[in-house]
Amino acid sequence: MNEPLLHTDTARHIDTVRQSGLLDYRSEAMPIWCPGCGYYGITHAVNNALAGLAIATKDLVVVSGIGCSGRYPFFTKCYGLHAIHGRALPVASGIKLARPELTVLALSGDGDGLAIGGGHLAHAIRRDADITYLLFDNGIYGLTKGQTSPTTPHGQVTGTHPYGNPEQPLNPILMVLAYGARFVAGGYAGDPASLREVIAAAMAHKGFSFVDIISPCVTFDKTNLQYAMLRRHFSPIGSDHDATDRKAAIGLALEKKFYSGVYYQAPKGE
Amino acid sequence: MKRQIDITIEICGSAGDGSIAAGQIFNHALSYLGYHVMNFDSYPAEIRGFGKSVAHTRVSDAPLHTPGERVDCLLALDDPHSIAHLARLKPRGVVIYDSKPMDYHEEDQAVAGFIEPGMIGYGAPLRELSITALQSAKSRNIVALGVMAGLFSIPPEAFHYAIGKRFAAKNKGVIEANIHAFDLGLEHGRSFEKADPVSFGDADLGKRPGVAVVSGNEAVAKACLDAGIRLYAGYPITPATKIMEILARQLPKQDGVIIQTEDEISAIGHVVGAGFAGTRAATATSGPGLCLMTEFINLAVMAEIPIVVIDSQRAGPSTGLPTKTEQSDLNMAVFGGSGDSPRPVIAPASVEECHTLTLTAFEVAEAFQVPVIVLIDFFLSNRMEDVNWQRSAPGRFGQYSPPPVDPGGAYRRYRLTDNGVSPRALPGDEGLYYVSTGLEHNERGFPDYTAANHRRMGEKRLRKLDTLGRQWPEPETVGEDELEIGLVSWGSTIGAAREAIEVLRGRGIRAGGFFPRLLWPVHEKAMRRFARRCARVAVVEMNTTGQYANIVEQTLARRVLRLGRVHAAPYPVSDIVDAIMEDTRQRA
Repeated sequence: MNEPLLHTDTARHIDTVRQSGLLDYRSEAMPIWCPGCGYYGITHAVNNALAGLAIATKDLVVVSGIGCSGRYPFFTKCYGLHAIHGRALPVASGIKLARPELTVLALSGDGDGLAIGGGHLAHAIRRDADITYLLFDNGIYGLTKGQTSPTTPHGQVTGTHPYGNPEQPLNPILMVLAYGARFVAGGYAGDPASLREVIAAAMAHKGFSFVDIISPCVTFDKTNLQYAMLRRHFSPIGSDHDATDRKAAIGLALEKKFYSGVYYQAPKGE
Repeated sequence: MKRQIDITIEICGSAGDGSIAAGQIFNHALSYLGYHVMNFDSYPAEIRGFGKSVAHTRVSDAPLHTPGERVDCLLALDDPHSIAHLARLKPRGVVIYDSKPMDYHEEDQAVAGFIEPGMIGYGAPLRELSITALQSAKSRNIVALGVMAGLFSIPPEAFHYAIGKRFAAKNKGVIEANIHAFDLGLEHGRSFEKADPVSFGDADLGKRPGVAVVSGNEAVAKACLDAGIRLYAGYPITPATKIMEILARQLPKQDGVIIQTEDEISAIGHVVGAGFAGTRAATATSGPGLCLMTEFINLAVMAEIPIVVIDSQRAGPSTGLPTKTEQSDLNMAVFGGSGDSPRPVIAPASVEECHTLTLTAFEVAEAFQVPVIVLIDFFLSNRMEDVNWQRSAPGRFGQYSPPPVDPGGAYRRYRLTDNGVSPRALPGDEGLYYVSTGLEHNERGFPDYTAANHRRMGEKRLRKLDTLGRQWPEPETVGEDELEIGLVSWGSTIGAAREAIEVLRGRGIRAGGFFPRLLWPVHEKAMRRFARRCARVAVVEMNTTGQYANIVEQTLARRVLRLGRVHAAPYPVSDIVDAIMEDTRQRA
């Protein structure tokens, strides 16, 4: 299942999804994302994972920052908080600490989570509140129409870098492993079936869990993260990888490849 | 109640001499005896060294509003700092000093050499007596207290009680040794032939062993505990840190969560999260931290999330004077942020009000679904007063109650209502899900950028504050009928304005006061009613730009005498009196 299942407004697709029961998590609001946006695939995977874990909508809180990803809570049947730019993590942490019985999902784009809000990530990991943090990583600022983000590759031409991005991109997975994250995974919006497994595992993890989800921006990124390219370059983490081995996880993160699956999950009690 | 006893003492020494500790023992002893005390110490910003450290306490048989200015009695625990401090003595003021200090001093280096006509000096061998009691010079401060108690005939058992309290965590031997040191000083003090006018009266005011002598920070922390907050998040900053340190100890005991965050943005983010989740939560900070919190305060206004933010103001701008008091964050508290962002701002005027009005802030936040800013300052945070908790009863604005489920239609989280307040569901409530957002939104909470909706929702948010303004009690006024001068003041400066009114009346000037505790929204009608009775209106506050004066002038459409001044210290009563007298002369 490599193609995103949900497209913008086709009744046929919605019917298919409704019959599968997934619409339980869909609000009546239609997503604002462009046709072909990877976020549809992520939505599908998240809703599937929620259904698999049988999480009641009344106990689900989704927190976002600002950006295309920031609109996510509106499209989900949940208690949502569309917060301010870069600050999804502090808010999500506050909700979880105040009401531990709630399921709290926080999400950010790469700009929201790694640029303006980058300072909070290390400390959310130190705090290790039981929340799941999804990074909608499309390597570009989409909502403001195509500026450089912290994961835009060096040299890429963007609205703010017409002569090419002079700065080096961050490696989110390597970063959070260095911060001491206890659950670190990668996923691909174009592969909702395996993404669903990864998200379900992240949500089942007790403590802070992080998933870097590579997601093409079909409108403002014509050179970097293309479905056609990613289809060739995304692969599941090999079965020989020991996900309890932090050094091995760091080794994987240092490879210039895209992996889907769990890089690292700290063994219980460590 | 007529004030008959009004005595200000200072204990001056180098950092490490124990002047602050002695001051605290003195506070507890005197409040135990039934006196009112107000204490405001000054000590160096540096952690250690030879900086000047001064305990300052004013004592009276009537409630106190300021810590006083000039000093009746100085306990000099060292020479160099105390010499410079003698200038603060009133005429015929008392100096108790060490008659046999450790080092040999030339006459021009010892306190004794600087006691001028008009000062009354009592030399006692503080160091020697301390060594007799404890084999150490460490308790010179306790000995000095004993000398003072003996000289002024203050009942020693009050000090014994306070020493026991002070060293409660230490072993019994420490308490006994210090009481012994005190008694040696006491004996010596009783032997003096008293030549000064200082008198504590007959000290029969009715003992109050249970009375608390607490700081504004302690009162705020107690309010957070009494409000039953679920979460406190903060980042250390002078002068608010103490609030967090108290809660760090106490909050876990009542099932609360305390978090030290990576910055003030994260602190208020946690509080917004906890508020959204339906629990009471707070953070405390100072000006620089409030700067960082402004965007989240905007979100709480827009998304209608109840939170409480305490700002203990210090002198600014920027890092400013971290250990000096000022009232210059008012503009930021009231107006800070993007767009039209109405939020209540409450300013307590005393330590007791730090408790009652912080409690009220939680109720207002919940009842009106707004962020509430409680404005205190370095002076209120750190000054200590005797407080009667019994009188500190909340309850005006009631408790949150969940809305009835409307099974027919979709739940409208931001329903337009007459008073602006919409029924709020909480996470976990069945069938009432919604998204809160900083985007302009419609009644259901979905983004809506139409002009009509933006107007309606903006009016709704303003309407909540109008409702609050109507429900808030009438602002306090002092003085009846026609007034020559009306002093408007707020926060910790109300005390100085109150005493200035007494002084001015003593000089035959009909002075009165208007002292609001709710700074925003403005109680416009009451302010205008008061101003109509005043030939002149003066606004007294600790900032130079006249931040509240601007609001007053705008409300009254009338020029006022702007007494916005900074002293890097509490506003002196004499400064207000002089300014009013000067203005009176100019007009005559």
